[in-house]
Order: sequence, then structure tokens, then C-alpha cells
Amino acid sequence: MVDPSGFDVSARIGSLVLPYPTVGLSGCYGSGAEFAPYVDLSRLGAVVLKSVTRRPRMGNPTPRIVHTPAGMLNAIGLQNPGIEWYLQHDVAKFAQTPCATIGSVAGFSVDDYAYVCERLAARSEIAAIELNISCPNVAHEGETFACDPNLTARVVRAARATTEKPIIAKLSPNVTDIGTIARAAVEAGADALAVVNTVRGMAIDIYRRKPRLGNVTGGLSGAAIRPIALLAVYEVARAVSVPIVGQGGIETASDAIEFLLAGASAVGIGTANFADPRAPMTILDGILAYMAQQNVRSLRDIVGTANAGFANSSQFEGDEG
Amino acid sequence: MTLASPPSSVVSTRILDRTEVARDVILLGIEAPELVEKVRPGHFAMALLPGGQAAGVALGIYEARGERCSLLFFIAGDRTRRLGALRVGETLDIVAPLGNGFDCGGKARDIAIVAGGVGIASVLLPAQAFLARGARVRLFYGARTAERLVEAERFATEGCELSIATDDGSRGYHGVVTELLAREPAPEAILACGPTPMLRAVSAYAQERNVPAQLSLEEAFGCGVGGCWGCVVPIIGSSAQAPSFPPSDADGSDVVHARVCVEGPVFWAHELRW
Repeated sequence: MVDPSGFDVSARIGSLVLPYPTVGLSGCYGSGAEFAPYVDLSRLGAVVLKSVTRRPRMGNPTPRIVHTPAGMLNAIGLQNPGIEWYLQHDVAKFAQTPCATIGSVAGFSVDDYAYVCERLAARSEIAAIELNISCPNVAHEGETFACDPNLTARVVRAARATTEKPIIAKLSPNVTDIGTIARAAVEAGADALAVVNTVRGMAIDIYRRKPRLGNVTGGLSGAAIRPIALLAVYEVARAVSVPIVGQGGIETASDAIEFLLAGASAVGIGTANFADPRAPMTILDGILAYMAQQNVRSLRDIVGTANAGFANSSQFEGDEG
Repeated sequence: MTLASPPSSVVSTRILDRTEVARDVILLGIEAPELVEKVRPGHFAMALLPGGQAAGVALGIYEARGERCSLLFFIAGDRTRRLGALRVGETLDIVAPLGNGFDCGGKARDIAIVAGGVGIASVLLPAQAFLARGARVRLFYGARTAERLVEAERFATEGCELSIATDDGSRGYHGVVTELLAREPAPEAILACGPTPMLRAVSAYAQERNVPAQLSLEEAFGCGVGGCWGCVVPIIGSSAQAPSFPPSDADGSDVVHARVCVEGPVFWAHELRW
């Protein structure tokens, strides 16, 4: 798949081929439609939709967002209408989205994930499923799935049994050895990995002497976590041989290219959309300019090239190119 | 409020003028003729920081006339400091217009506008709209100190009757502005913008006196365009303003979390459940 500019910037996630390597991230990008006034969604690889759970959730009390001098904290708390409502009222609209829509599933038990995944993946509007096993902002269990290789494997295996569509497991940076978690997810059947979710953090109002987030703790995003996320991608790319959607503080094309060189096949853009909703377009344009300048015709030719232990160079074998 | 939001876009504007109307309070005039045509009272803009690297800042649109809009803000942190450092002639990209805005229709002829602190930035356009149709507009304006009261004379010049309160008594009534409001004859309608404690007091007053009140809420924003659900407020689910969303599973009550940036920022006081 080749962009009109003549460069192949496509990325593969299991059986799903994204024409562009840029992805609007879950929880940051609504259903994509919210950003349609500012970007050409047909020049986006995919939108990962906001996570949905088995039952409706009100989410956390406010403030849910705190801007710090070194990154943004959020604790939304998986506000969503629940899978039944979502299927009846929301999913049909995604057929209008000019790029692939990837469903995001969150839960509090292995059974939750399997139940929601099965129902959501059955819908034609949903191109793939991301398993959000790494939300740091729910009171119990939310993140523990991605912090334990056995729980990660159980969730992925249960979801895998419900659908043939590509499954992406979203990993947490708040772990000792992300490579172990990545291997567990892949062995259980994940087609791709999203690396990484937010880094846990908090902020305190020194005059009120209280935590600034309604939820007390939250997830840090933005440029502050970029080196952390980049290292996680680098390590995961050495541990497993499935495509990686690199994410965490990517704001510019050069940031995105760093992730590609570390071993990501695609890049996710989250908080940067809040600084400038045009970010996915400027990042794509910058990637194309870099390819022209570096005389690279196909983006996959640079994936992992700064990572001597890159494990997934074999993922492209058999592709028609 | 059930007003439909107008189509917004990223608008590249040029700074026409910059005035420090008080210490750390900046009034930026921007050249944005296409925006002037679209802006309604109560709309806001996300001001994108030069160089990015942090989320945009939600600012009330203060004035909109001819080819010029203006943004009035207090420097209160890193992001507003960066906006405050912009110079005349430089470019400022904004996403606008956003939000539902105030409903300035209806038959009310005696309007109270209650503004606290930086909330003053969102109430000039509605004041002008009501004055233009011959209504009486009383502005109840509160601030911490006299030096944090800005643009009061501008409202008087426009034709508003002014009642001023300061927390330290350095100008006007010594106390909070809602106490001042309660001492005066009740208006037929209220519009308010300011810090949450003030809005809660306005809401209680309005419901006690059975006066319809529109509150423009302050909340920490993420995207400002409805994509992140960071800025929510509990509202009754049967409200026309509530998103089509099932009620909470928490207590079975008819309450949903609506987004301040899209369903608001202006809400009817009697529909909030905060």
C-alpha cells in the first residue's frame, strides 16, 4: 500500500494493514469524529476507540486532568456506557470513520475481557481489538493484568478464543521487566503489542494539602515519558517478533521515527493531539520528508534498524512489499 | 443549553495588540475575521502554545467585533505564562469556536451577570447581547482584591450596572460577590462564570428564588474538543443537554457525566448534580 507521494508507509497488525503508520490513541481521540474538523482522518492509520467495559461506568470524580510542568496526568477512570449500550448506539457510527477503527476492551476479570471482546469483535465496524490491560486509573485490578505475565496470558488467551480479528495487547510501563510480559502476551496469541500505556504519577496542591487529581493517582503522559516509552519499545522489540504500536510522548515526526528505529511498526499519538490537533498530519508529513531525505521507499526498511537485537525482522517475510 | 456547537477549526491568528490590564492579567487582541462571524456569547477557544509540548489552554472569547477577537486571561502557571509572553505581530493558533455558549434569547428584561475572577473573560459578549435588545444588565463582579478586578469600567461603559465585591474589602463590598447578589432585588435571569464555589452559591440562590440560571463552568481540560472525557460534570440524564448515555450503574440515579467542553461549558443550574 503506497501513499500518493510514492512512499510505502503502511504498517501491518496481524491481518490488518494500515495504510499509514500513525494511530490516534484510545482515550485521547474519542471516536475520531471529534478530530475530523482538524485532520484528514483518511490519512490516519487507525483510531483506537475509547475503552469499553461490560457494564456502564461513571468514571472518576474531577479533576481528572492535571497539567504539570513535565507531562500531563489523567485519571478518567474508564467512563463508558457499557458494551450493550455501545453496541446498540455507538458502533454503527464507526462505519463512517474514514480510517480503520480498533475497539478497545477493558475489564476487571478474565471473563469480562472475553465477554466484551467477543461481542465487540463480532461487529464489522471493528477492524481489530486492543486489550487495555494496563489502565492505571481504576480502583481495583485495572493494571494488575499487565503487571503479571500469567494474568496477561490468561486475558489474551480468553480474548483470542473469541475472535479471529487481530488482537493488540496494551502493555504497562510500570513493570520490572516488560519483555517477560510481552512474551506472555504473544505466546497467548496477541498479534501485536501497544507499548506503552501511561506512567503512574500524582501531584499535590501544596496550599490545600491535598492530591490534585480526584482519583489521587493518575497516569502521566506527554514528552516526559517519551524516553521511558522508547526504551520499553526497544526492549519489547528484542523480546518478541510481533508488530509493535509504539506510543508515549510522541509529538513530532522525529519522535515517531525514533520509535520506528527502536522497533515499532506503527506509532500512536495521544496527548500531542491536545497540544495541536493537527499533530498526526504534521507527524506523517515529517515521516514522508525523512524518507525522501534518507532515500527510503518503504517505512518497514527502517523499522528496528537502531536496535541491534531487533527480534521481529522476520515479520515482513512473505510480504509482497 | 441545547444550542448546537458551530463548526470549529484551527485558526491561525496574528496578535494585534497586547495589554497587561493588571499585574499578570493579559488582554490579547487577535486578528480573526472568520471567527468573529461564528462566535456567540459564551464560546471558548483552545489557545495552542507556541512550540506545543503542552496541552492548549481553554480561554473564554472576550470580545468579537470587526476583524478582531480578544482573549483575556490570568497568568497562573507555565502554560498561561507562555501565552502571556506572546508579542504583537506574532502568530497564535487557536481552535475555535468551541462549546455551546449562553442562551441570550428569552423574554427576560432584567439580567444579573455574576462573574468571579477570570470568569469576567466570558461575560462581555452576553452582556452586549442582552444590552443590545434593551435589557437591564447588572454585573456582579467579585475578585480577591481591587487590583485583580479588571475591565470593570469597560462593562460600565457598555451600559451595565456594576456591583463589585472583593474578598479583602479593597474595593466595593467586603465579602463574596454572591452575598452582594442576594442583597439586591432578584433578577429575571442569571448568567454566571467564575470559580466553582461561586457557581455553587449562584446555583443555590437561583434555585431558592426560582430564577433560571446559566452557569459557565470551569474545569481542567484535556483536548477541549470532546475526545478525552477529562472535563466532566454530573448532570441529570433527562436533561436535553445530557449526552445520549446510560445513567451510572453506581446508584441507579438519573445522573450522567457530561463533557464541559462539548455539552457545556454552559449548563442550567437546576440540571447540575454536583
